[in-house]
Amino acid sequence: MATVAIVTDSTADIPLAVREELDIAMVPLKVIIGGETYLDNIELTPAQFYQKLTRSNDLAKSSQPSPSDFFETFKKLTEQGKSVVCISLSSVLSGTYQSALIAKSMLDDDADVTVIDSRSASYGYGLLVVAAAKLAREGADKTRIIEEVKRMRASMKLYFLVDTLEYLQKGGRIGKASALIGTLLNIKPILSIDDEGYVYSFEKARGQKRAFGRIAELLEEDFKGDPIELIIAKTPGFEDGLAELSGLLKSRLNIIQYTETEIGPVIGAHAGPGTLGLFATRA
Amino acid sequence: MFAGAEKLSRNAERVNALNVFPVPDGDTGTNMNLTMSAGVAELTNKPSDEVGRAAEVLSKGLLMGARGNSGVILSQLFRGFSRAVAGSKDLNVPMFAGALQQGVDTAYKAVVKPVEGTILTVAREAARHGLLASRRTQDIVEWLGEVHAKALETLARTQEMLPVLKQVGVVDSGGQGLVYIYEGFLDYLHTGDSATPAVTPAASATPTPAAKPAVSPVPAHASAQSKIATESIAFPYDMEFFIHRLPASTPFHERAFRQTLERDGDSIILIEDDNIVKVHVHSRRPGDVLNAALTYGEITHIHILNMQEQHRDLLQPKAEQPTGMPAVAAGATYAEAASAVAAAPAFDPKVDYSLPGVVNLPSIAASPETEPNPDVHEMAEYGVVVVSVGEGNAELFRSLGVDIVLSGGQSMNPSTEDLLGAIQSLTAQHIYVLPNNPNIIMAAKQAAELAERPVTVLPTRTIPQGLAAMLAFQENDNDAANTARMTKAAERVVTGQVTQAVRDTNMDGIEIKDGHYIGIKDKTIVASTPSLEATCRTLSAELLDTDSDMITVLTGEGADPDTTERLSEWLAQQYPDVEVEVHEGGQPLYPYLFAVEK
Repeated sequence: MATVAIVTDSTADIPLAVREELDIAMVPLKVIIGGETYLDNIELTPAQFYQKLTRSNDLAKSSQPSPSDFFETFKKLTEQGKSVVCISLSSVLSGTYQSALIAKSMLDDDADVTVIDSRSASYGYGLLVVAAAKLAREGADKTRIIEEVKRMRASMKLYFLVDTLEYLQKGGRIGKASALIGTLLNIKPILSIDDEGYVYSFEKARGQKRAFGRIAELLEEDFKGDPIELIIAKTPGFEDGLAELSGLLKSRLNIIQYTETEIGPVIGAHAGPGTLGLFATRA
Repeated sequence: MFAGAEKLSRNAERVNALNVFPVPDGDTGTNMNLTMSAGVAELTNKPSDEVGRAAEVLSKGLLMGARGNSGVILSQLFRGFSRAVAGSKDLNVPMFAGALQQGVDTAYKAVVKPVEGTILTVAREAARHGLLASRRTQDIVEWLGEVHAKALETLARTQEMLPVLKQVGVVDSGGQGLVYIYEGFLDYLHTGDSATPAVTPAASATPTPAAKPAVSPVPAHASAQSKIATESIAFPYDMEFFIHRLPASTPFHERAFRQTLERDGDSIILIEDDNIVKVHVHSRRPGDVLNAALTYGEITHIHILNMQEQHRDLLQPKAEQPTGMPAVAAGATYAEAASAVAAAPAFDPKVDYSLPGVVNLPSIAASPETEPNPDVHEMAEYGVVVVSVGEGNAELFRSLGVDIVLSGGQSMNPSTEDLLGAIQSLTAQHIYVLPNNPNIIMAAKQAAELAERPVTVLPTRTIPQGLAAMLAFQENDNDAANTARMTKAAERVVTGQVTQAVRDTNMDGIEIKDGHYIGIKDKTIVASTPSLEATCRTLSAELLDTDSDMITVLTGEGADPDTTERLSEWLAQQYPDVEVEVHEGGQPLYPYLFAVEK
C-alpha cells in the first residue's frame, strides 16, 4: 500500500483506465458550453464535447475547481494517513493551482500536502503525474517523487500544433500579436510551453506537411537518437494526419514507448478543434 | 554645389540609361538626383558663408535624403568631406583635397563589401589624384580640372573592372553621376553660373570665384543668390498639391490643364496616375491654379510658398529662418530637381505606376505611406518595418505581424529619412527593417544608424525573402536568435521574378528583346520569351528541384486570371508533390513573383 497519494486535475488528460490502474485521484475543472456546465472529462467525454463544440455558435468556457473540491479530496486522502502530492495545470494558464493551495491551507497543520505547479498543460504534465503514480506504487517516498517530477519537467519536450490561433487568442492564452499570424498564408503554428508555463508560438510552418516535417526535425534535435517515450494527444478530425505524423516520427526517432490519447474538453476549448499535442521524454 | 546638383539633375536620365539590368528599375540617376536635391534644399534653407557650416548642413540634407545605394554612397562621401572641413571658413586646394580623401575613407567604411568599378572607385581615384595634384598647384580651377579629368578617366575604366559593364558596353551609372557633380563644380568655377533658370542674374557685384586664389564652392552659392533681384522672380508662388480624381469630376485633360497653368506660371510638372494627379507649378496667381484644379477633383497635400519672401530672407543672413521650412520648398533649385524627376524614366507615362509610387515623391516624404497598425503601439518588444510594393503583398506582411509597410521597391526607393520616420514612429524596444530590395539596403542601414533605438536591418533583397524572414520571426525569442533565424530563412528562399525587358540586350547567355518577358532566378536571367506564360513555365522549372515541396506565386499588375489558372494547373501536373499557393500581390512591373523554399 502506497504511502504517497497522487492528485491531479482533469486537464492532465490522463485516460480513465490509466487513472484507475495507477490510483490517481482527479479533481475536475468545469467546462461551460451552450449554457450548460459539465465536469471536465467526467460528465463530458472528449468525443461528446467536440460534437457540441462544432454545433455551438459560442466558444466553450472553462472554470477552475473550487478550493473545496480539492479540500474534499485532500482531506479524504490525508485522513487515510497518506502524504499527498498534487500536480496542477500551469498556474499562468489557470487558477487551478491557486485553488489547490487554498485547499491545502484549509487543512489541519499536520496534513501532509505538497502542491506542484506543473507549468505545463495536457499530457505535458499528465506524463509527470503518471510517472509519479508509478513511483508511488513502487513505494517511493514523497521527496523522491517530487525530485523525479521536477527532473522530468525540466527534460521533457512538448509541441502543439493548432489549426488556428483564434481559440487561444479569444481565451487570452496567447499574446495578441501572435494571433494575427497565419490568417493568410496557410500557416500552421507550432506552439510550445515555456519554463514559466506560458503558451508561446515556437515556429510557423506553411501547411500541415511542412509542420509535421519540422516537428520530426525538432524532436530529432532534442533527443539525438536516444530512446524516448512519445505520447500524442489528439482532437477529433486529426485521424488521417495522425497516421501520417506517427509514421514519420517512428521512422525518424528511436521511440520505445508510444501512446495515443485524447485532448480533453477544457484544453480543447482553449486550443480549438484540430489541435495535436506531442509529449516526449527520455525513456 | 548647386551647380553640381544642377548638372546631375539635367543628366539624371542619362545616368538612368546606364543601368545594366534590362529590368524597369533603371533609376540610379533619379536616386542620386533626389539625394542631391535633398542636400541642396537643406542648404538653401540654411545658407552659410562659412564652408564648414555649409558643408555640415549639406551633409545632413544628403544623409536624410539618401535613396538607393548610389545615393547612400554619395551622402557618405559628403559626410566625410564635411567632417574634414568642420570649423573652416574658407576652403583652399590642400583642404579641398584632404576633404575629398576623407569623404572616400568614410564611404569605404560605410560599404560592407566595396565593389571596384563603381562610384567608389571613381571617387577614390579622383581623391587620390587630388592629393597629388594639390602639391603641384594651388589654383582651384586647375586643380579641380585635374580631379575631374581623373574621375572621367577612371569612369571609362570601370568597364574593365566590372565584367557586367563590359558585357553591356556601358560605364558605371553611379560613377557617371559623380563625374557630373564634379563637372558641375568645374563649370561653375569657369563661368560662375550655377544655372538656376527660374531666376536671372542681375548684376555681377562680386568677383568671379575663379579670380580668387582659394575659393569655397559652397559660400559661392550664397553670393550667386545675392546677385539676383528679388523682383526678378516672375512667378513667385511655388505650388505643389495632389488632385484626387472623383467619379463626378470632369475628365482630366493634361494638355488643357497645362495650358491653363502656363498662362501665369512656369516650371510645370504634372504626373498622372489612375486616380491622382501630382501638380507642381510656379505661378503668379495661386488662387486661379487651385480653382482650375478643383474642377478635376479634390485637392490634398497643398504646399504654397512665396519665393520672393524666401529670397528676401536669404538676403538677410543674420535673421534665422523663422520655422523649419519643408525641404521641398527650396525655390528655384527645387524646381530644377523636380523637373529632373519628371524627366526621369521612373515616371514614364507608359508604365502603369501604382498609386503609392506616385505619392512617394521627395516632397511629401513618407507620411502618407506609413500605415501604422494601431493595435501594436504599446511599447512592444519588437517592431517591424518592411518596404514592399502592392496592396496584396502589404496585407501578407501585415498578416505576419509587420507594423509598418513602407511603399517602395523597383523604381521608387524610399529615402533614409522615409525609413527613419517609420522606425521612429514605432514604440518598440527593438526594430527590424526588411528592405526587400537590394537598392534599399544601404539607406535602411543608414537609417538604422541614425535611429535612437536598436535597429537590425535584415538584408532581404526580394519580397519573397522578406516574407520568409517574417515567417521565421518569433516575438518571444531574443533579438540575436531572431536575427539568425530570419537571416537563415531569407537565404533559404529562391526568388523568381517575371517582368518585361526595357531594352534589347544579351545577358547571362540569353538574347533579350525589348518588350519580351524575362524570368529572373535570384540574380540571373534564365528565360526570355514573348509569352508571359512560357516565361513563367521556364522560370518555375529552374526554381523547382526534386526536394521542393512548395511554390508560392504572387500575382502582380499584368497577370491575368486565365494565365494564373493555366500556370497553376501546369505546375500541379508537372510537379505533383509540390504544393502551389497563389496570392494576389498587386506589385507593379512584375506580373509574377515566385518563392520556393530550399
